Amino acid sequence: MLRVSLRNLLVNKLRLLLTVMAVVIGVSFVSGTFVLSDTMVKAFDELYTGLTSGTDVVVRSKSAYEADVTTTGGQVRPVDDGLVETVRAVPGVAAAEGSVFGFALIIDKDGVPIQPGGAPTFGTSISADLELSGGGTMREGRPPSGPDEMVIDARTAHQAGFEVGDDVDVVLEDGRKTYELVGIVGFGETDSLLGATLSGWDLPTAQEALGKTGLVDEIDARAEDGVSADDLRGRIATVLPDGVEAVTGEQVAEDSTESVRDALGIFTTVLLVFAGVALLVGSFVIWNTFNVLVAQRRREVALLRAVGATRRQVLGGVLSEAVAIGAVAGLLGLVSGIGLALGIRSLLGLVGVDIPSTSPAIEMRTVVAGLVVGLGVTAVAAVLPAWSATRVAPMEALRDVVPVSRGSGRIRHLAGWVTTGVGAGLLLLIALMGNQRWWTVIATVTTFAGLVVVGPSLARGLARVADHGRRGNGWRLAARNVRRSSRRAAATALALTIGLTVVVAVSVTASSLKDSVTEAVSGGNRSDLILEAEGAGMGISPAVADLLRVRDDVRDVVELREWGAQIAGAGQLVTGLDPRGLDRVLDLGMESGAVTDLAPGRILVSASNAEDLGVRPGDELVVTFPETGPATFEVAGTFGRGSLINAHYVISMADFEANVTSRLDGAILLTVADGIGPDEAKATIEEAVAEYPNVEVNTPADITRDARASVDQLLGIVTALLLLAVVVAVLGIVNTLALSVVERTRELGLMRAVGATRRQVRAVVRRESVLMSLLGALTGVALGVGSGAALARALGDEGITTVSVPLLTVGVYFAIAVAVGVLAALGPARRASRVDVLRAVTTE
Amino acid sequence: MRTEPAETPGRAATETPLAARAVRARKVYGEGDTAVVALDDVSLDLPSGEFTAIMGPSGSGKSTLMHCLAGLDTLTAGQVLVREIDLATLSDRERTILRRDRLGFVFQSFNLLPTLTAEENITLPADLAGRAPDPEWQRTVVAKLDLGARLCHRPSELSGGQQQRVAVARALISRPEVVFADEPTGALDQKAGTELLRFLRSVVDELGQTVLMVTHDPGAAAYADRVVFLVDGAIVEELAAPTRGAILDVMSRLGA
Repeated sequence: MLRVSLRNLLVNKLRLLLTVMAVVIGVSFVSGTFVLSDTMVKAFDELYTGLTSGTDVVVRSKSAYEADVTTTGGQVRPVDDGLVETVRAVPGVAAAEGSVFGFALIIDKDGVPIQPGGAPTFGTSISADLELSGGGTMREGRPPSGPDEMVIDARTAHQAGFEVGDDVDVVLEDGRKTYELVGIVGFGETDSLLGATLSGWDLPTAQEALGKTGLVDEIDARAEDGVSADDLRGRIATVLPDGVEAVTGEQVAEDSTESVRDALGIFTTVLLVFAGVALLVGSFVIWNTFNVLVAQRRREVALLRAVGATRRQVLGGVLSEAVAIGAVAGLLGLVSGIGLALGIRSLLGLVGVDIPSTSPAIEMRTVVAGLVVGLGVTAVAAVLPAWSATRVAPMEALRDVVPVSRGSGRIRHLAGWVTTGVGAGLLLLIALMGNQRWWTVIATVTTFAGLVVVGPSLARGLARVADHGRRGNGWRLAARNVRRSSRRAAATALALTIGLTVVVAVSVTASSLKDSVTEAVSGGNRSDLILEAEGAGMGISPAVADLLRVRDDVRDVVELREWGAQIAGAGQLVTGLDPRGLDRVLDLGMESGAVTDLAPGRILVSASNAEDLGVRPGDELVVTFPETGPATFEVAGTFGRGSLINAHYVISMADFEANVTSRLDGAILLTVADGIGPDEAKATIEEAVAEYPNVEVNTPADITRDARASVDQLLGIVTALLLLAVVVAVLGIVNTLALSVVERTRELGLMRAVGATRRQVRAVVRRESVLMSLLGALTGVALGVGSGAALARALGDEGITTVSVPLLTVGVYFAIAVAVGVLAALGPARRASRVDVLRAVTTE
Repeated sequence: MRTEPAETPGRAATETPLAARAVRARKVYGEGDTAVVALDDVSLDLPSGEFTAIMGPSGSGKSTLMHCLAGLDTLTAGQVLVREIDLATLSDRERTILRRDRLGFVFQSFNLLPTLTAEENITLPADLAGRAPDPEWQRTVVAKLDLGARLCHRPSELSGGQQQRVAVARALISRPEVVFADEPTGALDQKAGTELLRFLRSVVDELGQTVLMVTHDPGAAAYADRVVFLVDGAIVEELAAPTRGAILDVMSRLGA
């Protein structure tokens, strides 16, 4: 049997390729994701190990909990720099140096801030002891010394054309300063740390520049010969005050790698979800392909059975064919996944994310996952078709007609409609109720399951409509073909349904989000101007707010900061706002209490989160800050319109500063004096903050536009990833059509003989394809709009307050789906138009 | 597109214009040593309103001759003319349209599209041309072939004989110059075969159509006005107003 199965595979190489591709795309997504994240983790691991190689022990404040680095920048409470001496005095310490980190934005020669996409712009002290500076080495010049000297990383120097001896402007928390560039730093072979820009000073200068005079963020110590890192750690630990810990350099590297791994975890999960969608679609394609193959081979199977093949052998034969396809797909997917990962990595390099270079990490898990997924998806999808192959009777008539799909049973049919109805009803209900995330998924899956059963009926219904087409233009013949093999048509279309459902649902959600942003800005904002850090910047120097406060033409200046903290065991963002003038720049939509109640020791909570936590005004709420630990707040009020500033927890700026070291503002909200128009105000303030080129001055209209644009950008990326699933579905259509064309050689030949032109034959195949893609498009768009609306309603907490269906976008997807039908038919239609008429009509 | 009205029956053969003819038709398969001559300078006239049968042993080239006359296959040398139109001068598309509008086909089996009803199969050539068939002619043909009660049936619901009659009706729907029938009774039982041949005969006699039939059955060939015998790609004998006995005589003489 195995030989028969393998020979079957090789008979039609195109079909094999199409079938394999349906799985390869999903598998390469899976393995590519793994390779990419493993490689990145490996690279970071090597980098961190290098950075801490000369440091045996690191002394730093304990973190109250392991905070998400993306919300805190890894900042721990700085310690008094007197502790450096204490550590240095510990027996066995060869050298110990304090170091500080903070915000420092380098301005290039044209006055433009150097701000690589996503990577931080940080400043630090450069250790006088070169071994303690880890992987950093002086590429040119010398280490900085004294209050006027600095060094920068090689990448920034190269990019901005700075050379040793130049003056470099840097924006700091306190304002803008100029230093003389005395050296350029590299990190082993890489020019920068992950694309981050680095400004380095000697310790006292760094302390001053970063607003940490008399403080250090950590103390790096190296052991004398013969003293192990663990020993030294133990010795140092005994002299440390409460709340300060000593950890080995090795541990620090491991922790850092671990946090990278965690951060990448979310990214990996998201990509795997996309891979899952593509695989689901792929499994549909496989299922359908095998159904068709088994149907076409009934005669062959009957013959095998007649000459003595057992049912088990027939089952095994079909399954081993599936396994062979799965194995090939798994292997190809694995290889192309590795290629994909490498490609993405170099792409990231091109857009400025400098990932430390290392060889690709291909772990056992990746190989196993790729092969198992490829094999598993294919084998599982082929089980049912294989089973039906065993039902072929040995004496099955050797008819030369196309096998007609059996109609589904009444009960099955009814159950299908009921399931579809229940699912659709549920979706409607959820859309009305709101806030039902899991139910949204359940209802969508239910509806889809119903569609799988009623799909053939829908296909026949659509065909009946198309049957009314003008005589001879191909619609009728196409419709008849779809009706004849409605199951196959439905299964093909449903693969497209899945793809379109997710794409449309995502775009409905995104559109709702955009409208919600607009609504939030127009409904909640009272400020005239909103200042934000440009691009993916870390923030605005608080010096900017100070500068604005003294101006006569500015009335209210409210700074906004946010930081990670833990509430009720979950990581949250806490917003710090100055209560003064707050209600003049922002309408938080207070539902209980008043904005004026916000004072030190008090907290405002969004109404939805207050409900989840079960707290009411007057209750106590514990907020654990990573640097300072738990603090108890009294709930002063609840608000309903935090979405403009993305806030669920608001505390006073005084409390915020007491618990968070960073003083960077996330945004500054302004009102200007009466009589100044918005354009004039914007121009004036832009002029006023010209010293700070990273500050973007926005009118509320700008904010709306930018927010909508960024939603669109995200939507673009997500859609591009989901379109892979659509590509798989298209492969499915091509596959089905190609199989049908082979199956109908005689019919096509007959048509040609009695006078159908090649064009007419092509039209029939194309229209059949369009009918299938129409079915997929109709169901996909309907289901996508339904589940998108339900999803948008479920994400009220994330700031989606309104549901909007982007009719134009949905229309475009619909048109694309139909156009895809035409494209998918190109190959099969060509093949159909080239059948050998004589061979088709002569019986030999 | 039609240049002449339907022929009136009973016209003398000598005066009858030719519906189609082959002139020194030559067909060679393969090249060099392996070349096989299927047709060796065959010339054949098909007068309008005549029922011609081609007979010959397997491999004699009778099917090839018919396929070339019908524009389904092309010649290596020589000419095929349908109403004085040289098929070699036509493109594939033009030949297809000629088949659709001016020729009719009945094959041994698998004549009908399984997804279409009998009526839809009959009107298929007209539908492909994007025009409605002449309703009166359609009624005539359907009545002639006794298909009135079967029009809404799918091919799978028809007997073999009925299917072949639908095919004949389909072949006639555009009032073709020639109806080509390739072993039309080959897959039928004796009774259905005889019935079909009577229908073909009446189509010629009563509707004035021209029929060319390939067959190896002397009984079938006896229904024709004339039998042409082909051996090794060449016409070796012609028999006018044949009887079954006369045909068998020729056959035994030719050793076929």
